[in-house]
This record gives sequence, C-alpha cells and structure tokens, in this order.
Amino acid sequence: MATDNANADGFGEVSRVRGIAFEYLSLGASVFGLVALGVLLVYVAIDAFDLSNASPEWLLTYFVTLVVPFLAFCLYSADDPAVTRRALGALGGGLVAVAVVFTAIESLLVPIPRLNWQLAYLFVVAAPVAAYLTYVGSNGRPGAVGFGLLGRLVGGAALGLAVGTLFLVFDSLVWFLAYTLGVLPAVGLYAYGRVREASRARTAALPVGFLGLVAAVVLRDVIPTYPSDLLIYLWTIAVPIAVAGGLVVADRRGRTVAAVAAGLPLAVATAGGFWATGAGLPAPTVLLVLVTTGVPTAVYVSRVVDVGEGVVGLALPFLIAGGVVVGALVVEAWGVPAPDPWLDAGFVTEAPSRTPANAGLYPAIVGSVIIIALVAVLSFLLGVGTSVFLEEYTPGTGPIGTLTRILQVNIANLAAVPSVVYGLLGLGLFANLLGLGIGTAVTAALTLSLLILPITIISAQEAIRSVPDDLRRGSDAMGATRWQTTKNVVLPEAMPGILTGTILALGRAIGETAPLIMIGAATTVFNPPSSLFSRFSAMPMQIYTWAGFPQADFRYGVVAAGVITLLIILVGMNGTAILLRNRAERGS
Amino acid sequence: MASSHDADATGITRRKSLAALAGAGALGLAGCTQSSDGSDGGDGSDGGDGSDGELSGPINIAGSSTVFPLMSAVMEDFAAQHPGVDPDISSTGSGGGFSNFFCTGDTDFNNASRPIQPEEEELCAENGVEYVELVAATDALTVVVNPDADWIDSLTTEELAQIWESDPAQTWDEVRDEFPNEEIERFGAADTSGTYDYFIESTLGERGHTSDYQATEQDNTIAQGVSGSEYAIGYFGFAYYFQNPDQLKALGIDDGDGPVEPSLETASSGEYTPLSRPLFTYPSIESLGEEHIAEFARYFVEQTTDEDLVAGDVGYVPATEETQEEQMSILEDAIEQAQG
Repeated sequence: MATDNANADGFGEVSRVRGIAFEYLSLGASVFGLVALGVLLVYVAIDAFDLSNASPEWLLTYFVTLVVPFLAFCLYSADDPAVTRRALGALGGGLVAVAVVFTAIESLLVPIPRLNWQLAYLFVVAAPVAAYLTYVGSNGRPGAVGFGLLGRLVGGAALGLAVGTLFLVFDSLVWFLAYTLGVLPAVGLYAYGRVREASRARTAALPVGFLGLVAAVVLRDVIPTYPSDLLIYLWTIAVPIAVAGGLVVADRRGRTVAAVAAGLPLAVATAGGFWATGAGLPAPTVLLVLVTTGVPTAVYVSRVVDVGEGVVGLALPFLIAGGVVVGALVVEAWGVPAPDPWLDAGFVTEAPSRTPANAGLYPAIVGSVIIIALVAVLSFLLGVGTSVFLEEYTPGTGPIGTLTRILQVNIANLAAVPSVVYGLLGLGLFANLLGLGIGTAVTAALTLSLLILPITIISAQEAIRSVPDDLRRGSDAMGATRWQTTKNVVLPEAMPGILTGTILALGRAIGETAPLIMIGAATTVFNPPSSLFSRFSAMPMQIYTWAGFPQADFRYGVVAAGVITLLIILVGMNGTAILLRNRAERGS
Repeated sequence: MASSHDADATGITRRKSLAALAGAGALGLAGCTQSSDGSDGGDGSDGGDGSDGELSGPINIAGSSTVFPLMSAVMEDFAAQHPGVDPDISSTGSGGGFSNFFCTGDTDFNNASRPIQPEEEELCAENGVEYVELVAATDALTVVVNPDADWIDSLTTEELAQIWESDPAQTWDEVRDEFPNEEIERFGAADTSGTYDYFIESTLGERGHTSDYQATEQDNTIAQGVSGSEYAIGYFGFAYYFQNPDQLKALGIDDGDGPVEPSLETASSGEYTPLSRPLFTYPSIESLGEEHIAEFARYFVEQTTDEDLVAGDVGYVPATEETQEEQMSILEDAIEQAQG
C-alpha cells in the first residue's frame, strides 16, 4: 500500500507506526471488555457455587473423574495428533504458569481474595481448553453424535420445563378442549390433504381449527367432568410428540423401529408421570420433561444407529453421568470436604425466605419465563408485521413515502427512550386505562413488548431490506402476488436476520427492572402466578431486593445464585433462538 | 418441532398411531377425572389444599422498604401454612406505597416507617379508602461511623443536628473541638424514605435536612460509603447494623442523660431516644372484610412479639405484650366494622 503515496520524486515512504498502534489499541479495547466481564462472571460463579470453600482434593477428584474423560473424548473425536499435542501442552504448561504467576502475585503484589491457584487454573486454562476441544471435537463424527445427543437431552429437558411452566398460567381444560376439537381435526385434515393431494381438505383445516377453538371456549364451563391434568397432558402433548417422532423414524427405518422409538419413551414418560403423582412431584411437568427429552433422543439414536457412523459418540452422556457418580462416590468415601453451593435444587424450586439458606427463586423464575414467552410472541408478531408493512407495502415516494420516513425516524428515536418512560406508559395505558391491573403478568408483558418493539422493528426492517430486490422481481415475473412474494421469498430469506434482532431484544427485556417497578410488579411473591392476571415477581426484581438485605449471605451467595440462574435461562433462551435461526438459514 | 416432516408417512403407521391415540383416550376417560371447577391447581397439586381449604385469595402489600423484611418474614410463614393464599409484597417506600397504590385502592396493606401524613390521608379520603394504623415493631435509627474512627464514640442530639441540618458543619472540629480538622462525609436516606422523614422529625425539626450528602434507599450503599472513609458518618435502620456489627461502629446518642448505644434492649426500654421509632402497617378496612386478609392481619399482630423472628431474623425490637393486646383490639374492631 506504500505506493499510494507516490509523488514526483519517486516512491515515498509511509510510516507503519499508526497502523500498528491502531491494531494494538483495538486489541486492547476488546481484551479490556472481555477480561472485565470474565472476571465478573468468575467471581459470581465462585460465590454461587461456594467454590472458595472447595478443597483442592475436591477439585482434583472431579477434575480426574469428569473433566479428564471429557477432554479425552474430545481428543479421540478430533483424532488429530497436532490438536492433542497442543491441548496437552496448554494444560501442562498452563498448570505451571498459573501456579507460578498466581503465587508470585499473591506474595509480591496483592493477595487475591476468594481465589486460589487451583481455581484460577480451572477458569483461566481448563475452561478455555475444554471449550476449544469441544469445538474441535464436535467437528469429528463421534463428537458430533455425542454433543447432538447431549443437546437433545438438555434441550428437551429445558423445553419440557418451559412448557410445564407456561401451563401453570394457562387453563389446561380449555387447552384440552381446544386441542381435541380444534387443533387435532385441523392437523388431521391438513395432513390428509397433503398425502391425498386433496386441496379442499387443506383449505378446510383453518376454519375447522378456528371453529374448534371457539367451541372449546364456549364448552369450557358447560362440560362438568374432565380427565385429570396428567391425562390431559398425555393426550394433548405427549402422544402427539411421540407420534411425530415415530413418523420421522418410520420414514427411514420402518414401522417396528418407529413403534419402539416412539412407544418406549412414551411408556417411560407415562410411567414416570404416574410415579410422580404418587411421589408428590408435579406429575404433568415430569411427564412433559420425560417426553420432550425421550422422544427426540430416541429418534436421534435410531438415526445415528441407522447411519452407523460415530456410534461410539452415544457414550458421551454416560461418560459424563458416570464421572459425576464416581466423583460423588470418591468424595463420599474419602470424606473430602465438599462446597455447599447456594445454587442448588432448593434454590430453583422453593419460594423466597428470610433465611439465606432456604431462600429460593422459583416464583420469580416462573414469572420471568411466562412474561418473556408472551413478550417473544407479541414483539415478534408486532415487529414483523410493522416492518413487513413499512418495507413491502408502503411506496418509497410521494406523500405516503414522506409519512413513512417520518415514521421511521420516530421509531428509531423510540429505541432510545429510557425504559422508565415505557413503565409509565404501561402503568397509564395498560394497568389503569385498559384495566389490565397493576403489576399483573399481562401488563408487564405488554409493557416490555412495547419497550423492545423499536429494536425488533428496526432489525426486522434491516433484514427485509437486505433481501436482494432481484428475488422479488423474479417472483413477480413468475406471476406471484405481493402476498405470495412476501410469504414465499422475502420472509424465509429475511428470517435469520429477524430472529437475530428478536434474540437481542429479548435479552434486554428479561433483565429489565425499571418498567416493572413502574407498573407495580411485586418485589416478592411466594407462589408462582396462577393466571395472566395475577401479580407476579420477576428475577431481576427479586435479585435486586436481595442485594439490599442486611445479611451478607444474601448479598453475596444468594444474589450470585440468582444471577447465575438468570444467565442460564438467558443462555437457554438465546440458544433456542439461535437453533431456530440456524434451521431457517439452512432451509433457505 | 419435528412434526412438520410427517407428510409422506405410510398409511398403516398412521392407523397404528390412531389406535394408540384411541387407547390413550380411552385410558383418559376410564382413569381419574376432575370436575370443571377443580382446575385451580393446574399442576397436579389438587390434593394439597385440603387442610385449610377455606382460606384463599390474593393479599397485596406495598410500602416501606424498612418494614419489608419483617412483613415478608411473617408472610413466609403464613403462606406456608395456607397454600391457597396468594400474597405479594412490594418494597416501594412508605410514601410511594401510600400515594401510588394504597390510597388508590390497589393494595390491601401499606407498610410505613412513619405515621401516615396529612396529604396522604386526604388522598385516601378522596378515594374512599379507610384504614387502621397497626404498630408492627420498633426500630432504632442507628448513626454509624467508620470502625477506625477511634476519636469518636458518641454524639449529643445537638451535635447530630449540627452535622445534618440544612446549613451543616463542614469539618468535624466545628462539631466538637477535640475532633480532627477533617471534612465530614455524609451518607443518608433518600427523601422518598420514611427513615429520612423520621430523622428530620426526631432530631432536626425546623432546622431542615442538609442536601450536601449521598442519598440512597439502599442501606448497603450507606454502609459501603461509611466503611470507605475514616471521616464519614451515616444513618439507617437498626437491622443492617445488627446483622453486620463488625463492619461499622454505631455511635451512642446523648439526649441529655448520657450516651446510649443502640441495641434491642435500649430501644425496647425506651432509653434510646430520640431515634427509636415505631414501624407501622396500615390495613385497608374494606380488605379486612375478606376472611383470609383478616386472618393474616391477626397472624401478623400475633407474630410482632415473636423474639426469634422480629429480633433474631430481621433485627427489629419486638412489640411488648401490652402493645400487642392494644393492636389486636384495634384490629378486631376494624374487622368487626368491615365484616359486621
């Protein structure tokens, strides 16, 4: 590039100092932010899991039984001597380096609170190496199979829990009738129409479904007797999922395998549901979790076995579960002192308490999940609707075009309005004027949807705008109407971008506190919301309250556990959206 | 998620699946059923609310952040005994709770760390909200300094007023000659807080509260500020100091009879003047007409003498037996008025 500066006297010289300085400045900027965030998360994790009290023996035990086999699996899957050398070098060299540097800092400069060199090694060396190896390992066939299976187990369980949570506020009896009278006949008609090429059956599906829904609402209070909740979930959710899974398997493997792959998890789930009733657990949730985990797992296993490659990867979940069990046994047998984590089963299943040890986040978790689910649906529909209209249906010129541009500028400005103002709007409009109630879940969901609406609209518009005009003109040339072009060309093409924008916006919504305070959301509730119109609390509200409690255990341990729970749910939510996006990208 | 791929399945599989569906349906009809109004549980916990079936319904509480820990501790036990009751508690500050929620008829109780004020009474009257005043516990406003400040152990009420009045002393030696010539750093309650109102009422009076201080609703922030500087001073409710006695140093307050340090004993005996203050909760009379709310109000008054809960877990001074009886009779009159 030095030739750019050529002048009459020949080639001049350009100093490279500025370029190099710029490169390192930008490196510094990125490292600063990431390191600061990393340190914060490490400390929050240490507090939440009480790792500062973990003895070196305890860490070593689980490192040997859990981390080492996992890394070995990844290395086996990667099957690359260079990667193995690099990983072992990093693990070994890192051990020495961290121990020396940590001890040197502690003895020469400042004592580092709540950390020891073993923990530092875990976070600074072992975690990044594990992440790298997970990435490399998942490129190999056994690794891909192992992580695919693991993903279905974890994702299925999360999905089951989420659906179970949503049904806490939705009337299961209406859903039962709506499914039986509306959804099932409509899906049946549609499938029949697809298979038999009968277009009339397909057109009839929508009105039939709608009639069924109306009938369900009307009949809800007329019918005196209903099946128990467990049977409702079995009939409306578990059986359809199993049937869908069976159909997928039947495509490849034939009926017998399909019946086993669908029937076995269904039977296990049903048995689990009835057992849970006896054991006093929430039976429908147990049933849902078992079905949403079991069926996809069975389908996946049958496909892997069918393809016949990387079958050994199926052992990964057993490797991890075995590592946990062996580690626990060793810890128990040798009496190694174990840390007492704040984030445990009780924390996510119990109500808040005045004692830190009994404090739980369950009602707030349910509140947040329900609100975020509603916000996702509302803001997606409103955002996509608005952006499609603005991009596809309004002309760019003339008075309407000017109006659209004014609208655009205002939407962009709304994105910068502080969230407290949206809280006031929610209080005035939804809570008081429309009478949806102060501090109810539906008021909160509508308020938060408005809050993130500008972001969803702008990002969806960007995505729609980035669809090449050639595609639209091509579709027009084939004689497609504008609606057909939008439905078949523009939206599928723009969907990944739209979903990315929605993910970012939802991440903001789940952490919002100010608008919730304004609409009068409760600080503490002891029961999860039982309907959309009951008062609720959300995770950020409860965490903020704990941070103000006088007891130190609340301010450090319980708050940290709450933050980690919030992060896990956020990551789970984003993960789902990213999966949907990747699927949309592959489809187009 | 995978259900969209079922289009080209073969007929027999579908028939088989339909048979399976029919089987499950028959099982559903033959098996356990529920009636259309018994669906409130929604989570299979239908059998759980047999014992105290009569009590159910929401209880909405807002108000003081000082009373919040006490109210939520009592509610925790009440909610555990009555699973049908659906309580929620918001920490909005005494004034915020009265003007935004209680006097507009949106909450059943409002907690307050000072008595209701005239303009709030007017607002309630405008909206036809009647209430009774119940004393919940006693708090001892605690004045704290840095634990390294060994030059100070107590202040007279006059000296305290000099530090916090609207035209305050700038350095410590202006307050008392033997104090160091260092600037005073003040950390106190924000003006939305009942603690702020009570501090003015008890020590400053007409002299007004200085605006030259770090104002916050969070005791935590005050504690952090005071422990950060040897020449800082702050005040907040007793609970924070009670739970973290080593982090800060509480000053004795001399109201003319020698310095008295804040403690559960001195506050309950009435020696710790003028900074010990009653904490209140205001139930709405209309709400007391509902049986579960009346029952909770009774339970709350009963619990105000519980030493383990009020003093041990929360850090306030429990009510005496006489106060409790007095409050109970006020409450019973109100309940009678509401239900009779």
